[in-house]
Amino acid sequence: MTIDYLISILIPMLEGARATIFLFLIAIVVSIPLGFLLTLAVRSNIKPLSWLASSYIYVMRGTPLLLQLLFLVFGLPHIPGIGQYLVIDRFVAACLGFILNYAAYFAEIFRGGLLAIDKGQYEASKVLGLNKFQTLTYIVLPQMFRIALPAVANESVTLVKDTALLYAVAVPELLHFAQTAVNRDFTIIPFLLAGIIYLLITICLTFIFKWLERRLQYD
Amino acid sequence: MSILQVNKLKKSFEQLEVLKQISFDVEKNDVVAVIGPSGSGKSTMLRSLIHLEEIDGGSITVNGDYLVNEGTYTSPKQIKQITSRMGMVFQHFNLFPHLTVVENLELAPKLVKEGNAHQNRKDSMELLEKVGLSDKANALPGKLSGGQKQRVAIARALMRKPDILLFDEPTSALDPELTGEVLTVIKDLAKEQMTMVIVTHEMEFARDVANKVLFMDNGEIVESGPPVDVLINPKMERTKKFLYRTKL
Repeated sequence: MTIDYLISILIPMLEGARATIFLFLIAIVVSIPLGFLLTLAVRSNIKPLSWLASSYIYVMRGTPLLLQLLFLVFGLPHIPGIGQYLVIDRFVAACLGFILNYAAYFAEIFRGGLLAIDKGQYEASKVLGLNKFQTLTYIVLPQMFRIALPAVANESVTLVKDTALLYAVAVPELLHFAQTAVNRDFTIIPFLLAGIIYLLITICLTFIFKWLERRLQYD
Repeated sequence: MSILQVNKLKKSFEQLEVLKQISFDVEKNDVVAVIGPSGSGKSTMLRSLIHLEEIDGGSITVNGDYLVNEGTYTSPKQIKQITSRMGMVFQHFNLFPHLTVVENLELAPKLVKEGNAHQNRKDSMELLEKVGLSDKANALPGKLSGGQKQRVAIARALMRKPDILLFDEPTSALDPELTGEVLTVIKDLAKEQMTMVIVTHEMEFARDVANKVLFMDNGEIVESGPPVDVLINPKMERTKKFLYRTKL
């Protein structure tokens, strides 16, 4: 095994890692706000909305992500009548799957964060004359995000690893190129390399979240 | 005219009647101490004055305006307007932990658009000096002792320039050696003629600071009057029994 060989497999794998990271970024940037909206919907006084959001979270957390991805990528086009209009780019469909699934998990995390906020915070806001929206934006949300941060960090690391599920819906990503190289060259090296790349990504992520946690520390 | 009039206040939680026909008046510059055993309804009564609890019957008037008239509340806008003339200090301080001391003080005036930033900063620094915490302006509440937190909470309540300040057991969550600094701040406010209603277990403090004491038991005001009458020479058997246990 030579350095030349390592470089020759590293280039396509880094190419694949780009898809992995791209998916991760899209999923995290969209699913966190979406998850937060879901949390608000669950707590809403409008009963049908609350019920709908709760059911959504229940279904998304209660079924395998892999099934949801297969459903979106390969299942939708088979729906009679409208199926032909539902053939979307596999990567886009996969992104959608990750966003929809992770939003449900983030919603649960944020719900926990909201529950951890003392009711005295709402009472103090009320007697000081803050309205509901001000209480939410200035008092509740900053504390909720801080409380939820360690769980969000954990979920984000899981998301990095879950991107490997793209392999199953035939979107080329890091693992796909590793597997191809292993089959072609009869060597285990590409798998080790893939593991190292995943590790590097999650380590970076962990550092970022630790830094955020320290910055937002208030007690 | 009394600044605060409470007439035949009634409230129940499910089957339990926690307030039974509570009536009392607070005059301007009064310092009213509310004493009584746990579960007597003191806190519920105080909280209903500032609309943290909704009552089932009776009336509350602030400066002549009805907050609630014979069990019917006024409009939400009016409720907000009336309660904004009152301030409240909680047993557990309820400071905003993610904001610095000075931000805790200035958030409400900023959001309800009272004064300008310059004026608010001037007010907040003056109040912090008054409670002896100028040097903690930029500290987070988590770095303060309980006594310091409660003094910040008092300063925060004063930022809205309330006509009446309500205290719900302001020293009950503090270590004994920290109650003094908080009571001193409240005593100073009494000297400045601040109108206050204070739910407290500190009998000595009630005797020294209040000009009127309400003894509550089982959802009723059993006895009320000047501290000498209620605390030193109580007439009612229940008051005597309660005070005997607290050994003033």
